[in-house]
Amino acid sequence: MTACPGCSIAPPDLLAAIAERGDAADREAAQRTLAASAVLRAQREAATRRWREGAGTTGPAEAAAAAERAERAERAGRAGGRRTVYDAGHGTEAALPGRKVRSEGDKPVADAAVNEAYDGAGLTYRFYRELFERDSIDGRGMGLVSSVHYGTDFDNAFWNGSQMVYGDGSGRIFVRGGLTRDVDVIAHELTHGVTQMTAALEYSRQPGALNESFSDVFGSLVKQHHLGQTAADADWLIGAGILGTALKGKALRSMKEPGSANDLDRQAGTMRGYADLPDDDDPAHDNGGVHINSGIPNHAFYLAATAIGGHAWEAAGRIWYVTLTTRLEAASDFRAAADATIAVAGELFGTASPERQAVSDAWKAVGVL
Amino acid sequence: MKVSVVRGGGLAGVVETTTADSERLSEGDATALREKVDAAGFFDLPGEVERPPPGGADRFHYAVTVEDSGRAHTVRRAEPDLPEALGALIAWLSSVPGAESGVAPPGG
Repeated sequence: MTACPGCSIAPPDLLAAIAERGDAADREAAQRTLAASAVLRAQREAATRRWREGAGTTGPAEAAAAAERAERAERAGRAGGRRTVYDAGHGTEAALPGRKVRSEGDKPVADAAVNEAYDGAGLTYRFYRELFERDSIDGRGMGLVSSVHYGTDFDNAFWNGSQMVYGDGSGRIFVRGGLTRDVDVIAHELTHGVTQMTAALEYSRQPGALNESFSDVFGSLVKQHHLGQTAADADWLIGAGILGTALKGKALRSMKEPGSANDLDRQAGTMRGYADLPDDDDPAHDNGGVHINSGIPNHAFYLAATAIGGHAWEAAGRIWYVTLTTRLEAASDFRAAADATIAVAGELFGTASPERQAVSDAWKAVGVL
Repeated sequence: MKVSVVRGGGLAGVVETTTADSERLSEGDATALREKVDAAGFFDLPGEVERPPPGGADRFHYAVTVEDSGRAHTVRRAEPDLPEALGALIAWLSSVPGAESGVAPPGG
């Protein structure tokens, strides 16, 4: 099999892999794309024959419904998904989502945080839709809900299990207004939703560090795609230029040089620096070091993407996407992710391909293999 | 009365510690601190609660310790599980003059 440079949608081999092994939502998304392709028309006709003979469940009515869904997704894809932005009015959990301030298709409003949350969600939606044929977080066109102005001077942005939430920043950890400024931060949080709906990686220790890493990987890729950057040109930073006074440096994290982004950045880039922390109620332990050890798979992705060259989302990104959505499970560790990405690279690009070699070399370089 | 708030996790993953000693606050703020601790029913709160099912990510985690008249108590909670009055105490403490705060990398 060969890569498909310049393809704006996923190639049939990827779709077939997802249709076969993906979760229900992915299977549906992949299947409706495949159903629309000439390549598989013959199979569909065979299924229709089986249905007529009473031996199958796929029929013309379902095919028509699939076509309608595909068309609806196409319309949404052009717009940026079904976005709604709310103002939490400085309330916390109980106040979510808040007062509705901008819906899909509405003109920009006076509040920059609202517009940034709206635009970032749209860029992230289009990235997943155009590159991986994924219709929103759940693969079924789920509405993208964002709330801004959460809490007072709140130094965080998070995915709460069903929506995006942004604080204003206090100036200490994040500059005021900084949490909606970087599309990689927005895509990072939305990718937590994708992970929740697919691999459902447990937010603890190695599976938790993988959960964090997939968010950084796709966070960075959404930014690179938006800017049209190659792997060589990208800065590979997460949260560039939004740090407050308590953090000295250029960004929150660097996938290129983990541990170098700011003066409190203790991210490991290889297993030699792995922080074996317990996942307990001590806030300092960070769910077993999920934001420290994510540097290891982050750096593996960087190494693979730069070795392959070109646009990182085309080969490395596709390999990581298929791995996240079809191969990993709640308890998957670094080794499982390494094995799965190598296997997926072999399936998508060939067992003797430079892509598979690059992925294998990357995991060896960071000490996971 | 001494209060310390340790906050970890979040998108940044860093650990911020904020401490306040009523002896070093203005009289009005010292009174407000005591009132907020009382309003939270702090010494009656369980130290830990059953953790919520996974779903969210990048949430804050807190450990709040209050020392007063020879007794000490620590309450640990993820942000969505914070009782409202305890959340109000934490928010107030982060901006009260005389409180001290520092940021450290995760790892403890």
